[in-house]
Amino acid sequence: MFILFKLVIYENAILLLKSMEVDRLDGRTANQRRPVVCTRGVLHRAHGSASWAQGETKVIAAVYGPKAGTKKNENPEKACIEVIWKPKTGQSGKQEREFEMVLKKTLQSICLLNVHPNTTTSIIVQVVNDDGALLPCAINAACSALVDAGIPLKHLAVAICCCMAESGHVFLDPSKLEEQTTKAFVYLVFPSSTMSVLPQGSEVKEHGIITSVTHGVMAVDDYFSCVKMGRAAAAELSDYVRNSLKLKAGNDLSKAG
Amino acid sequence: MEQRLANSFTMTVNEKQFIQTALVSDIRVDGRRPFDYRNLTIRFGSEDGSSEVQLGQTQVIAFVTGQLVPPYRDRPNEGSFAIFTEFSPMADPSFEPGRPGDLAIELGRIVDRGLRESRAVDTESLCVVAGKLVWSIRIDLHIIDNGGNLVDAANIAALAALSTFRRPECTFGGEDGQELIVHPPDVMEPLPLIIHHFPVAVTFGFIGKENIVVIDPTYHEEAVMGGSLTATLNTNGDVCAIQKAGGDGVLQSVIMQCLRIASVKAGDITSKIKIAVESYNTQRSLKKIKRHNPSYAASKEESRQVNPETKSTRQSCDINSSASTHVATNIGSPEEQSETLKDEVKPKHKKRKKPTSNANSS
Repeated sequence: MFILFKLVIYENAILLLKSMEVDRLDGRTANQRRPVVCTRGVLHRAHGSASWAQGETKVIAAVYGPKAGTKKNENPEKACIEVIWKPKTGQSGKQEREFEMVLKKTLQSICLLNVHPNTTTSIIVQVVNDDGALLPCAINAACSALVDAGIPLKHLAVAICCCMAESGHVFLDPSKLEEQTTKAFVYLVFPSSTMSVLPQGSEVKEHGIITSVTHGVMAVDDYFSCVKMGRAAAAELSDYVRNSLKLKAGNDLSKAG
Repeated sequence: MEQRLANSFTMTVNEKQFIQTALVSDIRVDGRRPFDYRNLTIRFGSEDGSSEVQLGQTQVIAFVTGQLVPPYRDRPNEGSFAIFTEFSPMADPSFEPGRPGDLAIELGRIVDRGLRESRAVDTESLCVVAGKLVWSIRIDLHIIDNGGNLVDAANIAALAALSTFRRPECTFGGEDGQELIVHPPDVMEPLPLIIHHFPVAVTFGFIGKENIVVIDPTYHEEAVMGGSLTATLNTNGDVCAIQKAGGDGVLQSVIMQCLRIASVKAGDITSKIKIAVESYNTQRSLKKIKRHNPSYAASKEESRQVNPETKSTRQSCDINSSASTHVATNIGSPEEQSETLKDEVKPKHKKRKKPTSNANSS
């Protein structure tokens, strides 16, 4: 009798565990992002370049700059950021213009624009494969390329994507199929965690949201739970980015100046 | 800072003279002999029909896609293909975004002529319903790094992408048997294109007054050269196309010598492409094998069984993937700090032959 009782408890425990682990198509948990492969310095002619792959989504970003002069309607007292988005196939359309605009605004907020006034820095993004979370992948690639080019930045921007499933669960880093079948998803960009020289015990600055782009309808509470999950994931991703970008520093001096 | 402010690449007179003087003694700036190619690397993306070619410092990405369209009126039984060339501004500071310039159009025409006029791609097999529906293949070439000799690299990328492209299988079905059903890849295995031969482009540069010939010029040599010749040949010894657009006059004997050398090089490059395509096909068929171990990104068709016992083994699971290095780490909560620098988890045991693809993350 006791053995039967123990078996029943064991089965219930397994069922409970299984129900907590929401099954996604590729076997990840709700809070698990896809593995990231970040490579700096992939191109030779560009001043800075990086390739960023999240699972199957892959983007290559290149940076040229600073070049002399700004565009016509831009403020000559500050540096100007120009973004060119190249899709995988086909002509550039409205979707690409929107991505360029979001990327430009995001990068403008992290670059130090007063260091080189009256110059233009061009960032070119090439989509190699799109399997969900394309814009966050591009933002991450562009930041790594800016670091590779040595453009002065305030801090890095770390981007992730969260989606809301019909069941009310929040998933991190959806694939293309998940993006198309969920009712809403949001791209979030946070500043990377700062490692400052302030003495220990001083106030840690609150992380703001640099960029948030939503698609679909979600309730306010759902949005906040997405932000919470995104912030946690971004903190962990920014540690990875710092470590991976730190490695190559000091290696390639030929691009300096 | 001053170098960066320049929007285009200009060479000094000293550099130009140095290249020419060195070539008189058969020395090239990067240490090659006059008829040596640079290192050629062919990689494939995760999807069928996408290739990435690196020839020295030149990098080109090619994507092949297909869609069903009505055929041209004068060729109701044949499909069609079109080549779109994009000189991305990331390749060279002087490339402007927007409409393709002369160089882009010329490159597109050379690659197109090599494939179309020589009938390398079989267009009759692309016909589905004569006169109504045929496959139209679109080849997008993206030049992402201009290290010189874009034509050869773009041609190889196009050939590699065409060799690995698979189009969906179409059958007739429905109530009256007249409805065309396009089967998705997981229902029915997609079909490769029929390619009769590989037209390989080989580019020569003519530098200086003594008609010095170099093969596969770098962008420094291209800035110095007086003329260039691109010969597209295949391993059967056929000359598919020759392009010599203006530039310095060249002796006939020099052109014949170039063609002889080009046929040797075409054989080399064709075998390299075939080896790369073979290994891609092997990995692709390995990916199709349904595995018992639940592992991330092994095969999208598998259904996952999340057993509590295997949760702990997920971190050391062996992951099989195509050209790019995919590895999985279980980052369940933000407190876990388990990953190494490039998110790479070295597999503890290797049961299957892992794809030799560590060259991707350089």
